[in-house]
Amino acid sequence: MIGKDKATLAPDFSAADSEGRTIRLADYKGKKNVFLVFNWGFA
Amino acid sequence: MAQLRHDYQNFVDRETEIIAVGPEGPDAFADWWHRHQMPFIGIGDPKHVIAKLFGQQVKLLKLGRMPAQFVIDKEGRMRNVHYGESMQDIITDEEVLALLDEINREQAGSKAA
Repeated sequence: MIGKDKATLAPDFSAADSEGRTIRLADYKGKKNVFLVFNWGFA
Repeated sequence: MAQLRHDYQNFVDRETEIIAVGPEGPDAFADWWHRHQMPFIGIGDPKHVIAKLFGQQVKLLKLGRMPAQFVIDKEGRMRNVHYGESMQDIITDEEVLALLDEINREQAGSKAA
């Protein structure tokens, strides 16, 4: 775990998800933690 | 991903959203996502726009796409950063959930103070 004082801010992004909704990382600020996972391939 | 689907409620209980990003185009990605009935957010990122923002381009060039995981707290800070060196090299859900418990405790503490 990275201590909160040493942790850097995540870069914001905005993209369409599988349902066509616009997902913006900054929208979770103050509301939820986010577990962001990059995968090598799904299909 | 099957493990994450299985554990999803544990993330919800910890006020945490899961966002998974894959290299497919929108149609192929959405097709896979729907077939596997994934309950959380999934984004197809064929141009690797998001992956590059998070510094995965090194892996893209050198090794092909490898997994990477980021735990981001409610203030938008990256509290855990993990770049996999192989497809099996990931932090387990148990480790992530323990970390989220710690982050949530910390936050509850700072609210009370």
